[in-house]
Amino acid sequence: MSLQINLDQPPFSFLGEKELAWLKSRLDLVFFPAGEVILDVGQASPGIYILYKGVVEETGSDGQVFTQYGTEDMFDVRAVLESSCKHRFTAIEETLCYLLKAKDFIQLLNSSDDFSVYFRTDLGTQQSLVEQRGGEVSEFILAQVDSDTMRTPVYVTGQTTLVRTAGMMRDEKHDALLVRDGDRRGIVTGSDLLHAVLNDSLPKDTRVADVACFDLVTVEEGEYLFNALLKMTQHQIERVVVTRNQEIVGVLELMDMLSTFSTHSHIVAMRIEQARSLEDLIVAAGRLENLIANLSGQGVKVMAIMSLITTLNRRLIRKAFELLVPEKLNSQVCLLVLGSEGRGEQILKTDQDNAIIIRDDHVKDALMPSLQKLHQVLLDFGYPRCPGGVMFINDAWIHTAGDWRARVGKWLNNSSPEAMMNMAILMDAEPVAGNKELFDEVRSAWHQESLRSSIASSWFARPALQFETPLTLLGNIREDHGAIDIKKGGIFPLVHGVRALAFEHGLYETNTFDRIDRLSEQEVLSPDVAQGLKDSLVLFLRIRLRHQLEKAEKNPGLTQQLKVSELRSVDRSLLRHGLHRVKKFKQWLISHYHLENL
Amino acid sequence: MRLPLWLRRRLPGYRPPPERWAHMELPYTGDDVVVVDCETSEFDKKKGQLLSLAAVVVSGRSIELSSALDLTVRSDAITHPDAVRVHYLRQEDRIHGVATADAIQQFLDFVGNRPICGFYIEYDRAILNRHIRELYGFELPNRFIEVSEIYVRQKRRYIPEVNLDLTFEGLARDLNVPVIDRHTALGDVVSTALMFIKLQRHSAS
Repeated sequence: MSLQINLDQPPFSFLGEKELAWLKSRLDLVFFPAGEVILDVGQASPGIYILYKGVVEETGSDGQVFTQYGTEDMFDVRAVLESSCKHRFTAIEETLCYLLKAKDFIQLLNSSDDFSVYFRTDLGTQQSLVEQRGGEVSEFILAQVDSDTMRTPVYVTGQTTLVRTAGMMRDEKHDALLVRDGDRRGIVTGSDLLHAVLNDSLPKDTRVADVACFDLVTVEEGEYLFNALLKMTQHQIERVVVTRNQEIVGVLELMDMLSTFSTHSHIVAMRIEQARSLEDLIVAAGRLENLIANLSGQGVKVMAIMSLITTLNRRLIRKAFELLVPEKLNSQVCLLVLGSEGRGEQILKTDQDNAIIIRDDHVKDALMPSLQKLHQVLLDFGYPRCPGGVMFINDAWIHTAGDWRARVGKWLNNSSPEAMMNMAILMDAEPVAGNKELFDEVRSAWHQESLRSSIASSWFARPALQFETPLTLLGNIREDHGAIDIKKGGIFPLVHGVRALAFEHGLYETNTFDRIDRLSEQEVLSPDVAQGLKDSLVLFLRIRLRHQLEKAEKNPGLTQQLKVSELRSVDRSLLRHGLHRVKKFKQWLISHYHLENL
Repeated sequence: MRLPLWLRRRLPGYRPPPERWAHMELPYTGDDVVVVDCETSEFDKKKGQLLSLAAVVVSGRSIELSSALDLTVRSDAITHPDAVRVHYLRQEDRIHGVATADAIQQFLDFVGNRPICGFYIEYDRAILNRHIRELYGFELPNRFIEVSEIYVRQKRRYIPEVNLDLTFEGLARDLNVPVIDRHTALGDVVSTALMFIKLQRHSAS
């Protein structure tokens, strides 16, 4: 008889074919009428129940309901591993469960490492196991920098002449040689030679050390190729040096990688770089969404997609800025991206959140026409207008550095919800183009100890509590017409709570993950809590991205509604777990900031 | 309504099971039942050859699938075209099965003296008894439970004149039981077992 549930999902998909077949042969089927207690507190569980039909509710000894289970959910692993059940499980509808006997379950745990790791670890590890198995994983993405992918380095000494170097390049068929000059190690490429001789008119017998670059960009052997690609994109270079314990062991060439790389992310990056006109940029911007869908479909981790897309988005905006703003104004102005873009947590485009710092008021008139155009180009890139008006074309978001500082001071003394929200938006700012020193000047305003009083901090933290976590009193995911708002319910409270702590402790990081790491280093958050928050955020972002890509609407990045029924059961249970962490974090914020009386 | 063993033994034509299955005669004192279903080469008590046989122990609310008996019989019986359309067991599918005698032996070992339950169990009983008689010279002494009979009894208790859909699908629908792999012996056994469990519950309350 065929099995009536899909076991082709985690954790069962971690099992080998043989083990899975064995598991299927070990299942019994059990019926429970509505209202019947399946497992009670203190009882030993006969095994793991996997729901086929019906609904089961988990309650504590005081009658508080923790969660509900539906088709393909399973319970109660803990009761099996710890030999007694901590909660009560009741069938609230007529329920049919498959039952895997405890001894069979234990035997499976002993026979499969992945399977047992899943049950014995925290949310984060469970999640990365789920992510790894999600879909077809491109070999390239999982490939690491090793002896197969890199070339053995060819060295010249710093004394070698340019002519001799060029000859070696031809003989060795390498376009780049490493330069050994005393203790220094550098790199010289064919185009370096070309520039030296043709552009700078250096004589052919110049020492190669004089034209080589000694500021090496390196990756460690064993890193993912993907990271190497990110570094090349960030530094706009075509090769990186591979190290093992700080010793150079090879050179990784972009061309070698490209021949195997199927997602074209670098091609998009090159298109952005080579764009000569705004039209070119708009075409490149249009490919980003495709790239995201590709990467996601190939099972690339959401964190890696995020950092790649952040890099590309910022380059795109900077390039547009450079094409539009006259060069002579460049040092007079600084373009900030705010919100999720500023934190580097945007994947699919959300709305425009940006601001401008100018040096003097009189620059504004000269600048405004270009900025209006820039705004239009951003719309063409696919960033919709910000409904809250947080855009540099509005007077409220373009000021001189001095005015910005004054504003920050006013916001922090005023503590109205709007002032706090404005502060929160500005706090995530990242300068992407123009004169970044202007931003340092503004930022120092909220790093003044005197302005960051504990009262200001607690006012600042308050909005984290404004939306309820979509877990009902019953502890299962509370759906509103079958959907939950993942931003209000999970992402915003987490991000804002962390932002409040970053504010209180005067951190410079804008990325939520970086902020959490720093808060953990400073022992504001315990390592467990920090890890839990990071895992939860990755989970929310991953589930949301998958959902948004499936929706394929016009602006998929604006969709925050998750249809709970469309989630895989493993995601549903991870989501429940993540939302619980957010709820706990909110409770911690309440006591930390004394917000009990709100 | 079932005759006591001493009386049954005195009936003309009663043949006791041989030594190996002597225990099957003994009265059963537990609460388990064995749900049974057979698929045959044609739908005829006298001629149908056993093609597949499934049996599962139902213990309280639990269907002990992991220990279920699910046998395909290697038989050279020509399958009647109508029957093939029902169970999809062509001659070719049965090459890897066990011999009829082997299947019957395994079944007798499995079922013991527990009551045997099924949907339209008279048919399965007749088929099994015919084979057991031919091979070992006795008939199943077990108590038999007809699921549709319990169903009718319960329905009629409340509404005596009710018009009942007594097909397998009809019962499954009315009792809200999933029909799993219909017309495979084990699939039918599981659905029947669920019907039995649900009916038990109603008759108890």
